[in-house]
Amino acid sequence: MKKLSDLAIPYIVWAVIMIALPMLLLVFYAFTNSGSGTLTFRFTLEHFRKFFTDPDFLKVMWRSIVIALKTTVLCIIIGYPVAYFIANSDDKTRGMLVLIITIPMWINMLVRTYAWIGILSKDGIVSRFFALFGAKDVEILYTETAVLIGMIYNFLPFMILQINTSLCKMDPMLLEAGNDLGANAAQRFLKITLPLSIPGVVSGISLVFLPAVSSFFIPKLLGGGSYFLIGNFIENQFITVGEWNFGAAISMIMAVIMMLSMYIVRRGEDIASGNVKPDAKKTLFQRLIPDSKKAGADERRI
Amino acid sequence: MKKLITMMLVAVLAVMCAACSGSSGSGKYEGQTLHLYNAGEYIEDDVIKGFEKRTGANIVLDIFESNEQMYIKVANGDAYDILIPSDYMIERLMQEELLQPLQKEKLTCIKDIDPDLLARMDFDPGQQYAIPYFWGTVGIIYDTRVVDENDVVNEGYGIFANPKYKGDIYLYDSERDMFMTALKELGYSMNTESEAELNEAYELLLNIVNTMEPEIVTDEIIDNMAQARKALGIMYSGEAVYVMSENENMAFYMPDYGTNIWMDCMVIPKNAEHVDLAHEFINYVSEYEAASINSKGIGYTSPNLKVKKELSGNGGEYEGVDAYIPRMDNANDEVFHYSEKARKIMAELWAKVKIAASNA
Repeated sequence: MKKLSDLAIPYIVWAVIMIALPMLLLVFYAFTNSGSGTLTFRFTLEHFRKFFTDPDFLKVMWRSIVIALKTTVLCIIIGYPVAYFIANSDDKTRGMLVLIITIPMWINMLVRTYAWIGILSKDGIVSRFFALFGAKDVEILYTETAVLIGMIYNFLPFMILQINTSLCKMDPMLLEAGNDLGANAAQRFLKITLPLSIPGVVSGISLVFLPAVSSFFIPKLLGGGSYFLIGNFIENQFITVGEWNFGAAISMIMAVIMMLSMYIVRRGEDIASGNVKPDAKKTLFQRLIPDSKKAGADERRI
Repeated sequence: MKKLITMMLVAVLAVMCAACSGSSGSGKYEGQTLHLYNAGEYIEDDVIKGFEKRTGANIVLDIFESNEQMYIKVANGDAYDILIPSDYMIERLMQEELLQPLQKEKLTCIKDIDPDLLARMDFDPGQQYAIPYFWGTVGIIYDTRVVDENDVVNEGYGIFANPKYKGDIYLYDSERDMFMTALKELGYSMNTESEAELNEAYELLLNIVNTMEPEIVTDEIIDNMAQARKALGIMYSGEAVYVMSENENMAFYMPDYGTNIWMDCMVIPKNAEHVDLAHEFINYVSEYEAASINSKGIGYTSPNLKVKKELSGNGGEYEGVDAYIPRMDNANDEVFHYSEKARKIMAELWAKVKIAASNA
């Protein structure tokens, strides 16, 4: 047993160097100000103050969260039926369909997003299609719609594959049992299939929401210079402005927001799949965030 | 599936063979590799091939999107033999001692370069570190069918706030160039370090994005202006040359109160491995033949005087395209200088302009 755990050491070292160290550096940068010399640092909360007191910055963050939420919801709405269809096809077709969904992912995301520039631009296929119906000069490129299309296109496969996996894992005998006990198709779906597929939806959400909220090249390419999300703002701070400390602070704020949202989603999963008995008197919000009253009181004391 | 693998193997082999045969040549640089770091679409393939043929060396070309991006890589120790950044960035690299002085005895090309241009290189007097690669100005590109020439001439960069052209303008996504236009419009130097002046320029730009519905773009402006998708834009002279040669309705104007004269130059970083080869490259690119191919292909003005005269003269590629000959006789025109303080303020304010543009 001892020997086996020795084998893990390289992986632990690797994880420390590749995962823990960069995170620590990020936190270090976020809380310091680089002084005049190269090695003098000073602890500061200034970057956080700067971010939270500027309504423009907060608007950018808010817009990033909103567009990521829109992307996630649309991915579920589009992805669930597709996954359901795939899961219910016979083995051969299913393999084929999964392959079709996966193939675009073999091509670099950047290249695929570039392709959308051509499709959505003024003389592109989309605008020509609308021109057939008399709508002239439909230009979607460099609008929020274009960014949304780009995000859904890039992240949808993650959602479909996750939901599909959880649907395939489901024991078909459960549905037969439901049928025997007199449940109709709608009831079987709502009472059996849907709850059992929730874990897939949840991991789909994390695979879509997280990259969507921090994506920077999709808004850059499809939104043009006039569509700024938090990812672009962070990139801008590092590359153009050269304020690594402020950039690191924004990254940290985003990381915390993502962790919180993931926590809420997991709680939601527990409640939906019945692991936690929801207290009927509590509102949904209170159920998602336990002891929110107490936490609020603590905050006030601080 | 098997077929696919075979095809991929064949393709890989073909690429490898091409790589082998490419390196056959002769000379003392045989087998050496020149690491070149340049902006995208900024060197003709034939120039690279010609150099490889002459020296027997290979060129490995890396591409940067902006001077700032290049700076980060170079400052972090990535080794290149030649960089081609802009004037102000060269000044920064010089200040931070990231460049090595050129060995003048190895350079045979300086005599071919436009002396007026060399005189303008006040960031590196006497060419201690840098030899010009391309140069030009910044100005207004406009569609003569839509925009009244009088408006351009009377208002200069102020035309970007003229409600007549609302929704019909492109701004260029570079804080340096955009602040330049605003500062010049206000009558200040583009090299100001005054926070008050920079803030005034910021208010001016903010007003444009809040009221004029501009699109803030980078290189897509070239094709879009060539296709006349909008009527007005901020553009580098070399790109204007291309646009005007594609679309005869386009014109280029530089305000009398001054604009930016810029020059991108070849420099050798301190940690370069093949210093002799790098000097050879500078010579080759600056000589008549390669300079001519390069300038014809890319459209920017060549520092080689003979090439500039030939391309803009009778029967030349750019005869009658005035944007090809940068203005040298206006005392209001300036070359950018590097200032850490101004750079930071401009970058931060420009980010806010862009945020305002997306909130508008």
